[in-house]
Amino acid sequence: MASGNYEEHSVSVGGAKIGYLKSGRGRPLVALHGVEGNLEWLPLYEELAQRFTVYAPTHPGFAGSDRPAWLESFFDLSRFYLWILQELGLARVTLLGHFIGGWLAAEMAVMSPQSVDRLVLLDAAGVRPHKGEITDIFLHGTEGTRRLAFFDVKQVRDYELLFGRKPTPEEREAHAINREAAIRYCWKPYMHDPVLPELLPRLRNIPTLVVWGSEDRIVPVECAEIYHKAIRGSRLEVLDRCGHFPHLERPEELSRVVLELLSD
Amino acid sequence: MFIMRFTERPYVAYSEEDVRKSFRGSVRLTFPNTHFDPALGADLYNEYLDEYQFSEEVGFDGLMLNEHHNTPTCMGAAMNLEAAILARITKKPRIVLLGNPLPIFENPIRLAEELAEIDMISRGRLVSGFVRGTGIESWATNTNPVHNRERFEEAHDLIVKTWTTPGPFRWEGKHYQFRVVNPFEKPLQRPYPPIWIPGVGSPETLEWSARHHYPYIYLETDPQVTVQMTELYSKAAAEMNYEPGPQNFGYLWRVHVQDTDEKAFEVGKGFLIGNAGVGRVPMPGDFMAPPGYNSREGSKRILDQYKHSLKPDALYGGVDAAGWDAVVESNRVVVGSPKTVIRKIREGLEVLRPGILGLWTNDGTIGHKDTMRCLELMKDEVIPALHEIGKELELPGPFEKAP
Repeated sequence: MASGNYEEHSVSVGGAKIGYLKSGRGRPLVALHGVEGNLEWLPLYEELAQRFTVYAPTHPGFAGSDRPAWLESFFDLSRFYLWILQELGLARVTLLGHFIGGWLAAEMAVMSPQSVDRLVLLDAAGVRPHKGEITDIFLHGTEGTRRLAFFDVKQVRDYELLFGRKPTPEEREAHAINREAAIRYCWKPYMHDPVLPELLPRLRNIPTLVVWGSEDRIVPVECAEIYHKAIRGSRLEVLDRCGHFPHLERPEELSRVVLELLSD
Repeated sequence: MFIMRFTERPYVAYSEEDVRKSFRGSVRLTFPNTHFDPALGADLYNEYLDEYQFSEEVGFDGLMLNEHHNTPTCMGAAMNLEAAILARITKKPRIVLLGNPLPIFENPIRLAEELAEIDMISRGRLVSGFVRGTGIESWATNTNPVHNRERFEEAHDLIVKTWTTPGPFRWEGKHYQFRVVNPFEKPLQRPYPPIWIPGVGSPETLEWSARHHYPYIYLETDPQVTVQMTELYSKAAAEMNYEPGPQNFGYLWRVHVQDTDEKAFEVGKGFLIGNAGVGRVPMPGDFMAPPGYNSREGSKRILDQYKHSLKPDALYGGVDAAGWDAVVESNRVVVGSPKTVIRKIREGLEVLRPGILGLWTNDGTIGHKDTMRCLELMKDEVIPALHEIGKELELPGPFEKAP
C-alpha cells in the first residue's frame, strides 16, 4: 500500500504522543482516517502531495497514537484535534476525512471555521439519515462489515494485500486497539451528533466537497444529501458503482474530483 | 459450608435451525423474540418459583438467582422481581443474587433502593452479588463496553456509600452524578447486605474482590484453572494483610440427581442445551466480549491464564465441545444417584475447598417433574451429607467465618 516518500513523525499534544505521516509541499492538507485506522500512505495522498503538504495523523487511541486518559467522547476528540493542529503549527488547513474522519472534519469546522480552508467529506458519518440507518458496524463485526463495505472488491487494487490474507499478530493487536477506540468514541449516539446538522450552515463560506460512493451500504447516500443541503454552496459528487471506500475502489476518479475542488 | 440452589430458568421451545437463522447465528442478543410464547413463559416462571420455594424445604441455605438479557437461556431478565417474590414466600434461606450487572444501570441509587426493599421484606436475608455482566448485557442496554469496569466500580462505590453514609449527600463521579442521594429506605442488615462476586475468573475482578474481602464465586470454571485463580485472589489478599480461607470462595456446579445413575445420566443431558442454548451453536465472540469490554492488559492475562489448562474437549458449550460422555467424565457436570453424586462432589470439594457451594440442579430440557424428583432426593440424602462433608473438610462458609 505504501508508496511515495512520506515521513513518519509524532507530535506531543497535552502529554499524548500523536503519530502522523507527512509528505509533499504547498498548503497544508490534513487527511483524517476512518475506523480502520491509518492505512499507511494511500495513493490519494500521493496525488495530493504533488500540490499540498499532506498530513495523515493517527487519531488518539488508535494504533500509533496515545489517548489522553480524559479523552472519551467524539466531542472530546474534535476539540483535541484542534489542539493537534495548533501544535503542528497549522493555523488554516484543508480537511479531508473518510467516515468518522469526515465526521471529525465537520465537527472541527463548525467549532472553528476560521481554521478550515476547504473541506472534503468522504462517505462521512456524523449526521443521522431520516429514512435509512447508518449500518451498525460494531454489531455486524469486522467480517460482516467488510462484506458490506465494497461494491466490488475486484475494483480494489490492493484488496488481497489489505484484507485477503491472515493478519500478523501485530496487525491483529492494532485492529483490536482501533476497534476499541472507535467504540469508545462512536457507541452512543451511534456514529452521529444530533446537533451537527443545525451547525453545518455555519460552513457556507468554506468551499466544501461532499463525495460518496453511490452504493455505500455503511453510510447511506442520503447522508451526503443532508450534508450537501446543510452546507450552502457545497458540491456533491456521487461516484457510480462504488461502495463505502471510494479511495480504495475508485481512487483515480476520487482524486480527480478532489483536485478539482482544491484547484479552484 | 453454605449450600445454595440455582437454575438459569431456561426457555427451550425453539430449534437449532431458529438459532442458525438469527442475525449472526446467535442464541443471545439477536435471537428474535418472536420465538417467545408468553403463555408458556407464564407457566415456566411459576414452575421455577415453585421449585425455589420447595428448595427451602430441601434444606438449601441459599436460593441463587442470576440475570441476563435478550436470551432464551435465562428468563431472569428482571432478577430483582423474582428475588422480591422469594423474599415473601420463603422464610429461612438467603436470597443470593449473583448478580446485578452494575454497569448497565443508569441509576444505581434505584438499584440500592430495590435491594434494600428485598432485604427488608426478607427480614435480612439478601446476599447482594454484583457482576460486570457479559458483553450481551452491554449490547442489549447500549452501555459502552469500554466503560464496563469503570462503571462497575463506580456504581459499587456509590451503592455502598448510599447504604452506609447518612443522607443527603451529593455524588459527582465520572459516570454517575446525583445532587441529592437520600433514599429513605435502607437495608435491614447493617452496615449492608453481604456482597459476593461471581465470575469466570477475570484476573482484575479477582484482585478487586480480594481487596474488598468479597467472596468470589467461580461459575463452573475449569477446576485446574480455578486453583490458579485462587492463587491470584490469595496474592491480592496478602497485599491487604489477610489470608483468605474457604469462606472467601464459592464454586457453582451443575449437579443433577435421580434414583439411579442411568436415569440421571439420561435426564442430565438436558444441561447440554441450557446455558449454550438449543443446538449449542457457538456465539459470535464479540457478542460476549465486545472490543473494550476487557482492557488490552486484562485480555492478555485471561488468555495466559487459560492457555495451559483449558482443554477444548472439556469445554461445556459450543459445537466443538465434548460429547456428553466426556463432559460427565470430566466432572464438569455431576450426574448420578445420591450416592454417586455425594462421592463425586466430595472429591471436588477436597481440591477446590469452597465455603460456598452452588448446586445448579437443572437447566435446558430437564423438566419440572425431573427437577422436583432431583430436589426430593437432595433433601433426603444429598444436602445432609454435603453439610457433614463441609464440616469434616473444614469448609466454613462466609456466615460461619468472616471473609
